Amino acid sequence: MVNPFRAPIKRTRHGFVVRLGDAETGLVLRMLGELRELLTSDEPSAIELTKRLFPVAVPDDEEMEAEYQRLMRDELVQSQVASITAVEELLATGDTTVDEAGLTAFMRSINAVRLVLGTMLDVSDDPDTDEVRVTLRDSPEHHLYAYLSWLLEHTVQALTGR
Amino acid sequence: MHNGGVPTTLSATEVMEPDLDEQVAEDHPWVVIVWNDPINLMSYVTYVLQKLFGYSLEKATELMLDVHEKGRAVVANGSREQAEMHVFRLHEHGLWATMQHDE
Repeated sequence: MVNPFRAPIKRTRHGFVVRLGDAETGLVLRMLGELRELLTSDEPSAIELTKRLFPVAVPDDEEMEAEYQRLMRDELVQSQVASITAVEELLATGDTTVDEAGLTAFMRSINAVRLVLGTMLDVSDDPDTDEVRVTLRDSPEHHLYAYLSWLLEHTVQALTGR
Repeated sequence: MHNGGVPTTLSATEVMEPDLDEQVAEDHPWVVIVWNDPINLMSYVTYVLQKLFGYSLEKATELMLDVHEKGRAVVANGSREQAEMHVFRLHEHGLWATMQHDE
């Protein structure tokens, strides 16, 4: 079990150390595996869940938008999958010392999972509605979302030296 | 000798003047906009803007707050190719970014 009072990411003189407990490591690895499956699937449900990872780029120009998506979507998938693979390799070795590029991959992958979970939870910042619907607040997805938000916040703090 | 592609034998009347509208469209810069979304953390957006564009913490925070409070902020500008690359890198980091002609 991770100590909630100990930062999960520590900056050292030689880089960073990712300090997750075994259960947390397993959880992150499982979520990353599921993210890879979603990213590489052409099922409509997978496309819907990952829509925040592939935003519209040129909303005012249909032709340019089609060209952007044609050229860049696969690049985006490859980039995300490369980050996932780098994080899997990091967490699998047990030696969780990592350089800035490695921690950036970790940060991007964690955030990508949050974007999918946030889509599932229909997260909103509309002041007239709840951030997450009451019925979903005790769902596993919401707890995972909160955990990854905490982990991401610490990752950003470590990268910025704060 | 190669003259670097500069025509030396054309008379002045043969030189093709570029179409002004076309030239303006070509030179007209594109802007890259980051839009507010309810999922990305404020600290994360600030860090990504610092990392991708080299902004100071103060400048990145100001842009992030514009995104958060006004719904959007122009974070970069440049040629079409530059804008496409910026948008791609922002998408790589999960930010909701678009590009459009500067108005």
